[in-house]
Amino acid sequence: MAAHQVRLFGRGRRRFTPWLLLFPGLFFYFLIGVGPSLATFVYSLTDATGIKGIPINWVGFKNFDDFLFQGARSRDNLDALKRTLIFMILVTVIQFAMGLLMAVLVNQKLRGRLVFRTLFFIPVILGVAVQGLMWKLFLRPGGGPMNDIFGWFGLESQFLTGSNAFYWVIVVQIWANAGFTMIVFLAGMQTIPADLYEAAAVDGATGWQLFRNITWPQLTPAINTNLLLNIVGSLQAWMLFLVLTGYKNGTQVLGYVVYAEAFGQTGTGSFRQGYAAAASVVLFVLVLVLGMAANFVVGRRERKYMA
Amino acid sequence: MSVITEPLTDTVRIDDGGAKRRRIVRKVVSYTILLLFAVFYVGPLLILVGASMKTLPEFFKHPTGLPDGLNFDNFSEAWQLASFPKFLINSLIYTTVATFLFVIMSVFVAFPIARGYVKGARALLTLYVVALFLPPALIPQFQLILNLGLYNTRQGYILLFLINPIGLIILVNYIKSVPKELDESAAVDGCGYIRFVFSILIPLIRPAIATVTVIHAIGIWNELILATVYLTNDDLYPITRGLIVFEGVYGSDWPKLAAAVLMLMFPMMVLFMFLQRYIISGLTSGAVKG
Repeated sequence: MAAHQVRLFGRGRRRFTPWLLLFPGLFFYFLIGVGPSLATFVYSLTDATGIKGIPINWVGFKNFDDFLFQGARSRDNLDALKRTLIFMILVTVIQFAMGLLMAVLVNQKLRGRLVFRTLFFIPVILGVAVQGLMWKLFLRPGGGPMNDIFGWFGLESQFLTGSNAFYWVIVVQIWANAGFTMIVFLAGMQTIPADLYEAAAVDGATGWQLFRNITWPQLTPAINTNLLLNIVGSLQAWMLFLVLTGYKNGTQVLGYVVYAEAFGQTGTGSFRQGYAAAASVVLFVLVLVLGMAANFVVGRRERKYMA
Repeated sequence: MSVITEPLTDTVRIDDGGAKRRRIVRKVVSYTILLLFAVFYVGPLLILVGASMKTLPEFFKHPTGLPDGLNFDNFSEAWQLASFPKFLINSLIYTTVATFLFVIMSVFVAFPIARGYVKGARALLTLYVVALFLPPALIPQFQLILNLGLYNTRQGYILLFLINPIGLIILVNYIKSVPKELDESAAVDGCGYIRFVFSILIPLIRPAIATVTVIHAIGIWNELILATVYLTNDDLYPITRGLIVFEGVYGSDWPKLAAAVLMLMFPMMVLFMFLQRYIISGLTSGAVKG
């Protein structure tokens, strides 16, 4: 056996090949993944610009101070922070409820359920450029399709150019991602043993009782996954704003502020990458705190139902 | 795992008149809600298809109605105006090259981690999981690419897509389900490490490779932000960026824009029809295990 041991992968003379071949993947992961991620904290303490050749200086916590506490800009930033939270709450609640409802409906033995499932899921794979432009056309103010439909009911809206633009982006965000929430729920529902339902049905349980007492508790892992993903995902989402509204005061969320400040999209044309890195750290802390809070709540639920 | 299979609810039910009536009511309610959702989901898409076949005056007069006839002029005009062939080729290059390199490198990372053939395998895996929660790499990454002289180059753009922690985690988990005895007997028989990976491991983990390939490729194909940040030369634009530029120039010609959007959607839809299983399993397993 000892002779054989020596010839196994990862042993003896064969210890080095796995490392050698693992190296390229790991190298790139550090170079463009983890490394830059961590370096964000370092950059947040500098006055870095995005321009080659301009020296970078330490400025301590000045970026954080500027971002949160100094002048009119910081008030806009705090508004953006508040808006990010509103975005998160509305998207999470609606997308969660809608995804669950869609999953329950298409998990029944209904003719055409596969078609419905596919329809609800398709936007997920389209990407923000297509999602955004499709809705931009649909929501064209003054003579667009949605404008027409609103007209039938005597309603009026400026859609993406009006004061409710923020909420229209939320509609598109949910349209684009609810199918994903649905699929995670469906995957969870298919792990629930059928005999649980059979036994309850024999006892004369109604549809609602089945859902309340079997589906909901049995779905705990999928519920937790969706809750966490929706919270974290919606806090970090901003790309539909880029396509649908562009950068303008009154709609931007934190993620967009980071991008716009870093790459000269705020209208001033300057690349304030140190400042943007600080904004990015603020967003990271927000995601961390809310993600951990959600994780705590979810963990308690899990112990309650899974014990 | 395939999500699109038979449902498990709605099994045998004791039949009496009341139950039957309840079932019919439930069916009607279900279909009503499903149809409402379907309108919300297909509505914008149908409007888009309709718009793509209208002339501009026709679109302004009846933005919601059916087009007067099947008219594909907008497609051919948008195809030429938008330099679509150029952008399409760029997108294909980025997607295939980066996905191929990523998958090959990842197999060689995932295999020894899953098996513990390298020291610190567990720590390495944790490193991939933790990274999912770190702040985005956007800004330092930009500084890096700039200083490497790779800004506005194909190589630099491809470099950005050589990582995908979720893809790696999917591979590790799948490889763990392959019996380790296979490696051992192959090794004892004198099979080399590289030969083992290519001729035994990769064929065995094909479903996971397909899944990772598909989700990684979709991500690259759909990428807009990195294309906006790193590419300023329009000869290098992928199709997403090309579409946004097209919108900037011809955005007021809605039917042409609709045609352009549909042309970008088309490859994704075809891909989805054929690879639905892998796309869904990739996205859900990434979600659940990430």
